[in-house]
Amino acid sequence: MLKKYVPKPGRREYVTFLLLILEIILFGIFAPGFLTVDNLIRVIQNNAEIAMVSIGMTIVMLLGGIDLSVGSVMGVIAIVIGYMLQGEVNIFLILLVAIVIGIGVGFINGFLVAQFNIPDMIVTIATMNIWKAMIFALLGGKWLTGLNPSYAPITRARVLGIPVLLILIIAVYALFYYFLMYRRFGRYIYATGCNPQSANLSGINIKRIKLVSYCISGGIAAIAAMLYIARMGSVEMTIGSDLPIACIAAVTIGGTGAKGNGKRGSVIGTLAGVMFIAFLKNGIVIFGIPSLLENCFIGLLIVLSVLFDALTAGRKFGKSSKEVAA
Amino acid sequence: MRKIAFSIAKSRTKFLLLLFVIEMVILSLISPYFFSLSNLMQVTQFGAALTLLSLGESLVMIAGRDGIDISIGSIMSLSGVIFGLAVINGCSILAATILTLLTGVVLGSINGFLVAVAKVPALIATLGTQYIYGSLALYLTGGIPISGFPESFEFLSLESTFGIPNQILFVVIPVTIFVLILVYKMKFGRRVYLMGTNPEAAKYTGIKERSVRMWVYILAGVLAAISAIINNSWLMTARADAGTGMEMQAITVAVLGGIGVAGGVGHLGGVLIGVIIITMMNSGLQIANINSIWQLATLGFILIIAIILNHLMSGFVARVEKSRE
Repeated sequence: MLKKYVPKPGRREYVTFLLLILEIILFGIFAPGFLTVDNLIRVIQNNAEIAMVSIGMTIVMLLGGIDLSVGSVMGVIAIVIGYMLQGEVNIFLILLVAIVIGIGVGFINGFLVAQFNIPDMIVTIATMNIWKAMIFALLGGKWLTGLNPSYAPITRARVLGIPVLLILIIAVYALFYYFLMYRRFGRYIYATGCNPQSANLSGINIKRIKLVSYCISGGIAAIAAMLYIARMGSVEMTIGSDLPIACIAAVTIGGTGAKGNGKRGSVIGTLAGVMFIAFLKNGIVIFGIPSLLENCFIGLLIVLSVLFDALTAGRKFGKSSKEVAA
Repeated sequence: MRKIAFSIAKSRTKFLLLLFVIEMVILSLISPYFFSLSNLMQVTQFGAALTLLSLGESLVMIAGRDGIDISIGSIMSLSGVIFGLAVINGCSILAATILTLLTGVVLGSINGFLVAVAKVPALIATLGTQYIYGSLALYLTGGIPISGFPESFEFLSLESTFGIPNQILFVVIPVTIFVLILVYKMKFGRRVYLMGTNPEAAKYTGIKERSVRMWVYILAGVLAAISAIINNSWLMTARADAGTGMEMQAITVAVLGGIGVAGGVGHLGGVLIGVIIITMMNSGLQIANINSIWQLATLGFILIIAIILNHLMSGFVARVEKSRE
């Protein structure tokens, strides 16, 4: 008799959570003021964009791709939102336009990747540079300041002591967890990521899956842009330049290996990865380590976690194929 | 007409030369100064670092297994900074050069270890090391450019012999010839190509994939270190952001030059023509007084168009050949 297959996060995610708990304990003991409510809320607020964008990055990376353009996409959208706020356009219209731009920009990436079979990295490096130039052209060397969208107070509010932002992040992660694990389209994403040929042969339109995954990534970048505007109230030239690396780090630490490493992983692992990166950045500040070295630590984390995945790839880490068949 | 189109689509060199001629015509229409010999010689200086970087990048891509090295820009920054620090702290230029080349070897072999031995996906591994190297370079300088090289160091890049800039005559041309011999006249090159076209066959032929792939990444690192020294001598400063964006240019040049991203395809000769095209374009944009951020955007467009053209041309060639049969 066929047992109903209920997907669960693999064992790899537990490793990330273990590391996260270890990190919290270490910082809790050695970093004064780390385990305070104020500090933790600040950490959540400062990393909301990374948390959001990492979802899109997870989906793209599950398919064996990578999206280096998310940071610049977020920048372009934030600038458009900024100009519309200055023009006092209706707030709902602004949000709608932002998401439409995000999906459209993601569509360009996805179209180039899927239609012409260009490697993801090449396409997104190219579009990243195009959007960077666009940011420059739109800003013209100025800053956009004094932006105060009417939804901003909501992102700072708390319900029963819990920040609304945290509830929002968890809700979005839960939504995507459900979507990826239990909906047909989500399973198609995993199938395509694991073996594109066999997915294609079993009737999955892999081009469409790729296209839609980039559209999701772009749409989420639009949401991240809204959160950015609400948090900072201004836009400057370098917006989003460190975002892709932080997200890729979060995703790889969370166990979603890129190409050639078994396309396992889930948004749960990514959430743990995001928290790990967020606390690490916070810890770097508290310990007084020069901020110029921040990217060095993040890069080191990426290298170490892919190294860990590569070294354990021979062993059955995560769900074995037998369990899936049962 | 169809015959000419076919022969251009089939030969990458003809296509690139056509592109080059079109570019020269456009640039000399924009600025009458462009087409003078002294200007053309000046322009080659801009391409010195890029030539070496893209040779390394192309080899990494030819060696296959989704090979790519996006850390070469950061290797260039970091080894340049180390060169600067060594000179400032009293090393002779020769000692500093040796130290810098060693830095290139070490940084390249870290990449090589991750990709060839630990079998980490090249993209993620070099993305990680890109940030490590880049931020170490920033940390070592504190964000302030290092200057104060001895006057004699100008010889390498700011003077010229027989009208050819020294760094081209004494560094880029010999190194390029060395790489071309290594790749096209020696076993090493055949191994790299075979690994890219058919990894399984390469394995059964007895090629030690690990060590060959390792050497490819080390070579890319050393070439990046050499370009760092040229760049330092040219600017007479060592900057932590010297190599920022260079990997992007190198990848663009490689793809434009016909290197297949899947490995095993393409010739370094095409890459060299690609370097000339991109360098001319950059200097043309500079002469036309267009902001440097647009150079990156133009590169992005060229990259996408080059790949789409690759796609369309190979489809066209396949169709014509099919109709002939």
